[in-house]
Amino acid sequence: MYTPSDSTSLFAGKSFLIIDDFPGMRSMLREMLRTFGTKNIDTVTNGKEAIACLEKNKYDVVLCDYNLGSGKNGQHILEEAKFRGLIGLATAWIIITAEKTADLVFGAAEYMPDDYIIKPVNEATMKSRLEKVLARKEMLVDIEKAACDRNYNHTIALCDKALASSKTSATELQRIKTSTLLTMGRYDRAQQEFELILAKRDIPWAKTGLGKAAFYKGEHARAQQLFREVINENPAYLEAHDWLAKSYEAAGELEEAQRALVRCTELSPNSVIRQKNLGELAHKRGDLEIAENAFRKTIKLGQFSIHKTPLAYLGLAKICSENDNPAEALQILKDTCKEFESAETSFHAKVVEGMVYSKSGDLANAGKISREVAELVKADDGHRASSVMLEAAQMFLATGNKEAAEDIARTIIKNNHENAELLAQVNDLYSQAGMSDQGEELVRKSRQEVIAINDRGVILAKEGKLDEAIRLLSDAHTMLPNNKRIMINLSNMAVMSMRKNGRNGDMMLIVDECLRQVAKLDPKDKWCAQLRVALDALPA
Amino acid sequence: MDKNKEATPDISAFLASAVHDMKNSIGILINFLESNLTELGPDARDKATPMLYEVKRVNDNLVQMLAIYKIGNQFYPFDLTENSIDDFVREIVEQNKTLLDYSGIALDVDLDEGLTWYFDYELISGVISHALNNATHYTKDKLMLSVREENGELVMRVEDNGSGYPSNVLETGDAVNKGVNFASGSTGLGLYFSSMVAKLHKNCGKTGGISLENGGKFGGSCFILRLP
Repeated sequence: MYTPSDSTSLFAGKSFLIIDDFPGMRSMLREMLRTFGTKNIDTVTNGKEAIACLEKNKYDVVLCDYNLGSGKNGQHILEEAKFRGLIGLATAWIIITAEKTADLVFGAAEYMPDDYIIKPVNEATMKSRLEKVLARKEMLVDIEKAACDRNYNHTIALCDKALASSKTSATELQRIKTSTLLTMGRYDRAQQEFELILAKRDIPWAKTGLGKAAFYKGEHARAQQLFREVINENPAYLEAHDWLAKSYEAAGELEEAQRALVRCTELSPNSVIRQKNLGELAHKRGDLEIAENAFRKTIKLGQFSIHKTPLAYLGLAKICSENDNPAEALQILKDTCKEFESAETSFHAKVVEGMVYSKSGDLANAGKISREVAELVKADDGHRASSVMLEAAQMFLATGNKEAAEDIARTIIKNNHENAELLAQVNDLYSQAGMSDQGEELVRKSRQEVIAINDRGVILAKEGKLDEAIRLLSDAHTMLPNNKRIMINLSNMAVMSMRKNGRNGDMMLIVDECLRQVAKLDPKDKWCAQLRVALDALPA
Repeated sequence: MDKNKEATPDISAFLASAVHDMKNSIGILINFLESNLTELGPDARDKATPMLYEVKRVNDNLVQMLAIYKIGNQFYPFDLTENSIDDFVREIVEQNKTLLDYSGIALDVDLDEGLTWYFDYELISGVISHALNNATHYTKDKLMLSVREENGELVMRVEDNGSGYPSNVLETGDAVNKGVNFASGSTGLGLYFSSMVAKLHKNCGKTGGISLENGGKFGGSCFILRLP
């Protein structure tokens, strides 16, 4: 039999924050919490006050209305709080909403609330949900901490342990476990887990997971098939749409990818990231109308969001320029620099500015900007994103600054000599400028130079000259700070050296730096996880 | 661009904000009634209790229309999760406790303890709440909510000791299940919603469904929901 529970002790010591714009709701929620035995309750009416409150205090539970009138909505506040680390893993965030939306239920896992309550809120529901959420938080806190620390083996071990004893949270534990397996790059293992779950019941997240495993293994057709199956059964399942678009794009089927993304933005009309992705894809396809529309929406939606991005502004400026509207393009670039006060953004904006002048035939200004950008590149530490560098190379070619173009193209190639997509893009740039022979020659030579250094390092290591090999690759790494192969080889050699000679501060420093840099280039890179496992296994 | 669109207001935006507003107001009404019924004298309480039933009906209708609209347009985020039946039943019972108590109705609960099942919590909670609210209105003084696993299916029953469904409702119930587009009657929306929700639940080639019967434990009406 069910029994109404007495949980005054559970609530007495907890601190609550209520965020609601409606005075009637605020006092109703506060009264409810008082009835449950809570004394420590703060209330605020909007996003601004909420953020100010979260900056000052730590709360156990945040009850947040979704629709807060103008300004930030409940989801915006949650995302900002998580992104800026204003709430810890132990804070339970509950969104109260008039209607269940795809964004709320199927949104990005890292920004999901711990629970949502559909209005009307009543005391019984509120109490039972709070009890459940607090119990689950307590059970998961160690697991979430391990996952947050990227201690993946430990995460999985903890999930297995909890799975053996808890029945009610099985789904949640299985989801954490399988997504950890995917993060670690253990795709076959993840696939097995998903198939076991699916043998018992057709669950969209598990089938989507199976699709992700197929995607990572490069089986794009199979992945697409699985995502389409999920969507057929569950038309509003956002994640499957996202991944379907991704797998079409990876397979080069851009029209299909765009169609999937459009459907996604219909289901999730408030997502800044999805609108931006749609804008970029449509721009890539030359569908300027859709791209312009998507970038404008991205900018509007980004107003209150932590995901606000300069890329939408710059994308819109490029489209205005392509539509022969340089005046608006230049105005947008000015606004961008004002909105985002960062050296990175102002560099990128300058690159686009050069393109705008060049396209409009203002050669004097184009040349001036081109020279300014070239100066900035020379003073560079080589850590810029390759996509921006590629645009700079394009701008140099368009403004006739061949030397600067070649310098920057060489840097891109050498830092990414195994990235076929990027190398193809460099080739494309040169052939668009009518210089395909020079482009191919540049790619071939620059690649060869890096391969030679790497090969020499590997041979030295095989010959047992590990110190010499590490010195060689360390120098190469300083010259080419973004080259993944060099970092991987260098770190592996450092681990080999420590396996032989024991742990060593200098070697650890090398490995840490490489790990950080690779993770920055590609946060999902599975090599990082594998290396951490190897480091854990080193004798103390 | 989009000049035409600006001339015609986007009705869905109005709908969403109107629903948001109405739900806030209904929430406060329900909460007010539930916490203040105790303070009324017996006569006033007897008169006020049916108001709680009416407000809940308005809320049910709102929820059902919104869900039907969204499911029909493939916008409903159907969220299949594994739920504890104990928690589910406890929440439903506590939600309906005030109305039952003041209406002088005894509710029997019968369930398989420790059972968990996959369903969309909000939708199924909507179906069962609505069935209970209906039964509260038509029963004499007894209700039963039972949740059991039978032959690999979850079976939820709401039974009462009233005079049972009239024959036209039993027929309508059949029509809904066969997917016939029936004419609207007083119980049309609720049944249509319940049947639609049941059918969304599928597993291994099986689909959920509802049925209406007379008889059961108390000899009144029985609302039965089956989920694979």
